[in-house]
Amino acid sequence: MSTMKAKDYRSGLEPVWCTGCGDYGVLKGLTQALADLEIPPERLAVISGIGCSSRLPGYTKSYAFNSIHGRALPIASGLKLARPEITTVVVGGDGDGFSIGLGHIPHAIRRNVNLTYAVLDNGIYGLTKGQASPTTAQEFKRDRGLAGVEERPLNPVLLVLSSGCGFVARTHAGNLPHLRQMFRAALEYPGFSFVHVLAGCVTYQTPRYADEVYQRCDLLPESYDPGDLSRAMDVARAERFSLGILYQRPPEMPAATSPWEGEAAIWPSVADAKRERPGE
Amino acid sequence: MRAPTTPDTHPSTLPEARPGAPPRPRSLVLALVGSGGDGVALLGDLLLGMAAREGLYGMMVQSYGPQIRGGESAAILRLADHEVQYEGDQVDILLCFRLRDLARFQTSLRVHPGSIVVIDQGETAEVPAWLGATIEKPYRFPFARYEEGLEVDGPPKNMLGLGLLCRMLGWPDTLAQDILRQRFAARRERLQSNLESLATGFAVLDPPSRPAPEGKGLGLFAETGNEAVARGSIAAGLGFFAGYPITPSSEVMETLIDELPAAGGRVVQAEDEMAAMGMVLGASFGGVHAMTATSGPGLSLMTEMIGLSSMAELPAVIVDCQRAGPATGMPSRTEQSDLFHAIYGGHGDFPRAVLGMFDVVHGRDVMPHAFQIAEKYQLPVIVLSDAYIAQRRQIRDPAVARRERAERERWTPENGLPARFDVTGEHGVNPFRVPGTPGGSYLAAGIEHNQEGYPTADTTMHQRMNEKRFRKMTGIAAETRDWYRTLGDGAAPKGIVAWGSTYGLLREWVIAHPEWRVFLPEIIHPFPMEAFQSWRRGLTSLAVVELNYQGQFHRYLSGLTDLRGAKSVARSGGTPMTAAELDRLLEEAGS
Repeated sequence: MSTMKAKDYRSGLEPVWCTGCGDYGVLKGLTQALADLEIPPERLAVISGIGCSSRLPGYTKSYAFNSIHGRALPIASGLKLARPEITTVVVGGDGDGFSIGLGHIPHAIRRNVNLTYAVLDNGIYGLTKGQASPTTAQEFKRDRGLAGVEERPLNPVLLVLSSGCGFVARTHAGNLPHLRQMFRAALEYPGFSFVHVLAGCVTYQTPRYADEVYQRCDLLPESYDPGDLSRAMDVARAERFSLGILYQRPPEMPAATSPWEGEAAIWPSVADAKRERPGE
Repeated sequence: MRAPTTPDTHPSTLPEARPGAPPRPRSLVLALVGSGGDGVALLGDLLLGMAAREGLYGMMVQSYGPQIRGGESAAILRLADHEVQYEGDQVDILLCFRLRDLARFQTSLRVHPGSIVVIDQGETAEVPAWLGATIEKPYRFPFARYEEGLEVDGPPKNMLGLGLLCRMLGWPDTLAQDILRQRFAARRERLQSNLESLATGFAVLDPPSRPAPEGKGLGLFAETGNEAVARGSIAAGLGFFAGYPITPSSEVMETLIDELPAAGGRVVQAEDEMAAMGMVLGASFGGVHAMTATSGPGLSLMTEMIGLSSMAELPAVIVDCQRAGPATGMPSRTEQSDLFHAIYGGHGDFPRAVLGMFDVVHGRDVMPHAFQIAEKYQLPVIVLSDAYIAQRRQIRDPAVARRERAERERWTPENGLPARFDVTGEHGVNPFRVPGTPGGSYLAAGIEHNQEGYPTADTTMHQRMNEKRFRKMTGIAAETRDWYRTLGDGAAPKGIVAWGSTYGLLREWVIAHPEWRVFLPEIIHPFPMEAFQSWRRGLTSLAVVELNYQGQFHRYLSGLTDLRGAKSVARSGGTPMTAAELDRLLEEAGS
């Protein structure tokens, strides 16, 4: 039994999210996973950009940073590279991550900075009141008269897989035990880990939207081999959403411990940087 | 009582010449012009290295086209028996491998009647008249090899030139051999052929003689402005650097890649300038001294994040090696046109400090100053360098003053209070909460926040937070009241106020113009107003000298104090200002 509880990772602040928002599930699943792993709150950093889900760091008891739109990954990378002993989690939405901040994703993956990046993907801009995001379906845009009907949605899982991400999981904000399990696995993975969290927006989509997405989800079968990249690519392209660890490469080159000096244009490797850290 | 001493930057007495030896000049200017592949930059670099070994001071500036690689290029060297920060108005020796390459440098090269011009033996063109003096008999040397009237590959021209110049300057060929052996230690074949060409150049019969100034006899030290910035930052405690390649700042990152890991720090080449600045803030959030270096376009991209640095109260140092702008502008050319951006750039109200770098030597001093302010006041500090000093290679005294590591006040569970963003903190600053410290967790935010860091839309709190954050400026102004330099006689009737790399020219210009005194702030924002007001007392005229089109410094100062009657002496950058040009501009301005 863990000595920590999920509420040990909560600040006193009450979330401002709408009732029924998937963000509550992400906050719950994340804090549960942190408690399971007994990560000391003072060694935890939760970092975000801007958006509804980017409010999350303020609700955690951690060294939290609610920064600016689209730039959470570089900020978290800088922290983790300067202070490798700090467990670093990045949270955000599909607009923050896949639109304004997209350019940073492949590079954070290339660098293989040892952090967990969770995107709550509800396919809408909630905070700015309902504009289309890069993952909004074309039919939805047509029905609602949103901009970009001609633009096809982005496939985030395919994107991170093709960028060489060593750990890719997908889950749904409505399935708490699965969220907790995925976050735990991602936090334990030594290297850059990506968690795609499917969700809905109760305000700018239909109240049943999240359930409808969930109807399109299947848990991966027990027999699924997450070490098979081409299989993972197939799964990422499928009509229905598979939930689980879609891909996990053996951690042969985790950025925080390996000697792959210079490979991602980082000098020196973390292993070589033996110096006093300001937090210790 | 001892007599007051004056800084010995430009002694006026000539050292005694050795019996029988030709008289030694106080300083000597060489210009080397060629095409891409002629190795003009390497030749200049080697000559400067040889001068440093001889104990001579000096500097080298390079000029090249917008494509940065290839095309015509020029290196201008000035060698002197005292520290120099200005390359001079006229060259004493001009070596040009191909006369048609000269045209590009029409605005920056001038000779005098006593100059020696060295050209290729096969050159058919005339030495152009725009050089400013008639050179009837240029010295001809067979640099190029011809077959059937066409130039073919031959021995390296720069090595032939090295031998020839070594001879003309009165240096022993062993000086050149030694530096070649050091430079090409890992490339034996190249070394051998270079030594042979050097010997060919050195063996020439009766070349014109133009002896170099007398060296101190003990070795001095050469580095560029970008190297000095990198090394000054390490001395100040730099632990993390993230950057993105951009002319003319890239050598800051390149030097740190070589030298920061050994000092326990880390360097990342980011995917763009926004990421670089983001990483800097992440590392700073982690309690580590962090900086980036860039040029104007990069500064533009970083600007949103510079506001975040100030809002979330995360120390950060940003070096801007200015180039001629806007947009892509002229990447390899100098200008002082990012001043407005550095002082005012970004949305909303936020405090920051802006420092100006005077010259290469100052790089080692300005960076510890930048970290001192950034770390103590927990805000962004922008250091304005420029292409003129960033890529200038300079010989300096090897002694570098020891620097204290800049410290950030740390929060501990023992002192418990105050809140991270307590509005009552002295100068608006509270102890920094470093991740890893138990009980110190808080929310850093770009969104307006209350004293704990939690988001707020309370307009009263916004006002109070602005007051708190801007109180830092008062503290900085008090701490940096002496961060300026003056030149010339303090009682001279006329005054010039300038900033940054214009220092190099003014330092020499004022000696020849005793009716002028000069004021140069090292900290430009907040401006050392008290010192300036006291300096300007009794002036009959005042000119604000700068290298940008709009007269940005003049406009900035006009907003701070009564500047009626002061003349703006400003022109677009590209080439640095010369002494003759400053004379003319001041006259045109009626000063």
